[in-house]
Amino acid sequence: MKKHNHLFITLLLSCISVAVIAQDAKNDLSLTLSYFNNNNQVQYLVAHAKSKIDGRFQMIPGINVSFFITNDSSGNLLGKSVTNDKGEAFLLIPPTAKEQWNKSAKQTFVVVSQASKLYDETKASSDITKAKVKIDTTDDRKITATVLELKDTAWVPAKGVDLKIAIKRLDGDLNVNETQTFTTDSTGSITAEFKRDSIPGDINGNITLIAKVEDNDTYGNLSTEKIVPWGSKFQYVSNFDERTLFARRGKFPIWLGVIAYSIIIVVWGILISLIFDIVKIKKLGQEV
Amino acid sequence: MENSAKQKITEDLLPQKFGKQGKIWVAFLLILCIIGFIAYCRQLSKGLIVTSMRDYVSWGIYISNFVFFVAISLVGSLITAVLRLTNVEWSTPLTRIAEIISVAAITFAAIIIVVDMGRPDRFYNLFIHGRLQSPIIWDVIVITTYFFISILLLYFPLLPDLQILLRFKEKTGNGLNKLYKFLGSFWKNTPAQIKISNKAISILCITIIPIAFAIHTVTSWLFATTYRPGWDSTNFGAYFISGAFLVGAGGVVVAMYVFRKHYKLEKYITEDHFDKMGKVLVMLALLYLYFNINEFLVPAFKMKKSEKEHLIGLFTGEFAVVFWFAITTAMILPILILILKKGRKPFPAFIAGTLVVIGSWVKRYLIVTPTLLHPFLPMQDVPNEYRHYFPSWEEWAIAIGSLAGALLIITLFARIFPIIPIHETITETEEHEKA
Repeated sequence: MKKHNHLFITLLLSCISVAVIAQDAKNDLSLTLSYFNNNNQVQYLVAHAKSKIDGRFQMIPGINVSFFITNDSSGNLLGKSVTNDKGEAFLLIPPTAKEQWNKSAKQTFVVVSQASKLYDETKASSDITKAKVKIDTTDDRKITATVLELKDTAWVPAKGVDLKIAIKRLDGDLNVNETQTFTTDSTGSITAEFKRDSIPGDINGNITLIAKVEDNDTYGNLSTEKIVPWGSKFQYVSNFDERTLFARRGKFPIWLGVIAYSIIIVVWGILISLIFDIVKIKKLGQEV
Repeated sequence: MENSAKQKITEDLLPQKFGKQGKIWVAFLLILCIIGFIAYCRQLSKGLIVTSMRDYVSWGIYISNFVFFVAISLVGSLITAVLRLTNVEWSTPLTRIAEIISVAAITFAAIIIVVDMGRPDRFYNLFIHGRLQSPIIWDVIVITTYFFISILLLYFPLLPDLQILLRFKEKTGNGLNKLYKFLGSFWKNTPAQIKISNKAISILCITIIPIAFAIHTVTSWLFATTYRPGWDSTNFGAYFISGAFLVGAGGVVVAMYVFRKHYKLEKYITEDHFDKMGKVLVMLALLYLYFNINEFLVPAFKMKKSEKEHLIGLFTGEFAVVFWFAITTAMILPILILILKKGRKPFPAFIAGTLVVIGSWVKRYLIVTPTLLHPFLPMQDVPNEYRHYFPSWEEWAIAIGSLAGALLIITLFARIFPIIPIHETITETEEHEKA
């Protein structure tokens, strides 16, 4: 009996300890940090939070994150943000960080997620070298893009950087020719030929060219744009108020009108002639 | 043919005054109409909120009733036009019954549409601002046309009978005699008049067939041009027309039995008529059953997600009892009864006809309501009453009142005019004797 009691207590304790461990178990949170510099203007940082749930990675919304420059000491705090439904948190690098930013040609950014019931505190960092992209065009529709990096205080060409030259469209970018990616030469430049002659532009035929460096280990994400009049002019043709089956009253399709009115005229013509027949019968009756 | 024989036919077929049963029947119908009218007055003063129609079920029992009336009105074209054009002589005693059913039904189809409107005072806007592209406008045009043709088709064959009726002033009374004079005193049975009248009847018989097809096809398009589970079908026009012929023929068989029994017309509406109409009814029931199988089996085989809930609701769910009741009473039982020779005797045929009419009314309800309760987007955050539909007492009263109104028109017509054409019966008898 005593032996059974021991066994029962051991099992009970095991169950309790498993339950406690289960309660304390937290998922691993994976944080990544990306640096963006669009059009050499205001730079911003994007943190991605994801975790493996049910055997697959899922974006985690609602994670409080803090962004830092250089290191995660409180004095270097750039700002705080919360991840959205896509697990992304954004932060524009504030003007207050200018002094720290100007100190060096290379910078380190750190993102730290706040510990919660589900996730432990997690850190991620990104080291970047300050760089910029320039884009230029010629009259014979050639595009030249140059990547420059900051060395001490001077901008020097960056060699061997993968670069995309594309046309900016609503749902994504369209390559200017069959080449997907270009690599900069010793002058930090690439040249691409524009081969999308019939692409629709705006009302003046303007299209936006974009040169971008994506997820580069050294420079982060860089892009620059230029508007050129190389597209075909967009002619806006309004189909509002045309004759359709779904148009307003009076704007019915001609074929419908012809068919419907023909039927009405023929049928009612017959009926009216039959009314005259009654009148004829009446007259014949009065003559008798 | 001897004059005494003609006299006998005429006397047999003259309209008869209401007996005790007839008066009770008229009073009963009048009471139902008055209750319906009171309910409609309540609806007019309080608005459509007195009905059970809400955001989802915006077409309830009124539109079901409308479709039923339109369907039964099709019988005019079947019995009068199709059978007349194909020289089916046995149909003569049934033509006027069919025509008056048509007129009564199409009249109340038009009325019930106005009843369904929340603001009937704005009805005229349908004509002023109607869009030619809308099947609703086509329905308005085609119903008006069909009503007009039905009235003419009732009137032209009535002219020779009016002349006969004028000779029986003592029997018919002064009031009715004035009416007969107004309607047909000019008919002198001259060859020229007969020629014009026969030509007019032939033209009407030809015209009414496409219009009859159009009226029910357009009514089906009110549903089929809407993208909804249960209505999204290319089969709908033919499905509606076959159903309309069935209910119309069923209605004629019921009316044949009632008039035969009440006015003692056994010599004119014979067992042979029931036998033939029974065969017609079986054929139409089989045809409608075929269309029903098409209409339900094909989507059920695919069971698309959007259709699934609606179909399961009909087969085994909320509407299963009503659905199988409609299929059984409108098609299966009438086929089983009428396929046997004994089943085509007057009384069993009357039972089969009644089943067809009742089942067909329920079938129209099933065409309208379950679809509206199964929209593509799920019903969310709505009161529970929006999720189900059961007509309020006002809706029942108005619907029953309208059915009573249609029966009242038929009853009063039979009181005023001969329900079996006298002149045609005499002419045909003479022709038979000559032959």
